[in-house]
Amino acid sequence: MKVNNVILQFTAKIVFFIIFFFAIHIFFAGHYTPGGGFVGGLVTASAIVLLIIAFDLNTVQRLLPINYVYLVAIGLILALGTAAISMFVDQPFFTHFFDYFYLPLFGKTSLHTAALFDLGVYLVVVGVTMTIIQTIGDDE
Amino acid sequence: MSFQILLNIFLAFLLMFLTSNYSPSGFVIGYLLGLLSIIALRRFFKYRLYIGRVWAVILLIFLFIKELILANISVLVLVLRPKLEMQPAFFKYDTELKEEWEITLLSSLITLTPGTVVVHVSDDNKSLFIHVIDSNDINETIDSIKNSFEKAILEVSRS
Repeated sequence: MKVNNVILQFTAKIVFFIIFFFAIHIFFAGHYTPGGGFVGGLVTASAIVLLIIAFDLNTVQRLLPINYVYLVAIGLILALGTAAISMFVDQPFFTHFFDYFYLPLFGKTSLHTAALFDLGVYLVVVGVTMTIIQTIGDDE
Repeated sequence: MSFQILLNIFLAFLLMFLTSNYSPSGFVIGYLLGLLSIIALRRFFKYRLYIGRVWAVILLIFLFIKELILANISVLVLVLRPKLEMQPAFFKYDTELKEEWEITLLSSLITLTPGTVVVHVSDDNKSLFIHVIDSNDINETIDSIKNSFEKAILEVSRS
């Protein structure tokens, strides 16, 4: 029984971009306003889940050929590495650094190593959520 | 159409480089002048001007707002009647639209105007199955969809 899902599929294609951009906005807003790596990761995972609902698991696997287990590993390494950097310069574990840089296009920006740690959290959350959903969805 | 928009943006950048005015206002001035020159050379394009499509989209938005208010009032009249005299029914609506986005847009517009809900699209995308709250005037409903929404969407997609 194959149902014609033209409305759902077309809408999912458009809404995916909106959700993904909102996830990026939430990720970068985490320092001063509500948001951060965890929420951003969950919202990104929900965008991918919307695609899985509208199409099917194999199509989305071909679209995004990501091994989500590796994604979790990369995120953990990133978070641990960010925490361990400070040990090499005689500071306690998890000391963060920040400074102001003049980037082209952005102007004066404050870059903080906490953002890298947050990126690790983001990758772990996306990886774990997608691994759970794919593992459950694959079971026939 | 996309070619015309791209050309217009290129013309805007050209004027920005010529006047070395790299501000948003310079871009807007260049864009408007490019639009004027594109309108002047409209005979050389294969398709109609994109500004006509933009206008058709704006008309469609206003049409949707008007239909939404009118249909909500009619449903309010139905709800406030002491006796329920409505006959719910399903009917098949054959559409002329081909593209995925056109069918999605038409279905969304039909669903968002109260009284009618699209429940299914046939496999060949040629007909919509619509549930209507009051089937006493099905032909009127079909005519109103055909003459308002479908005509406006066809006006947008006409090349």
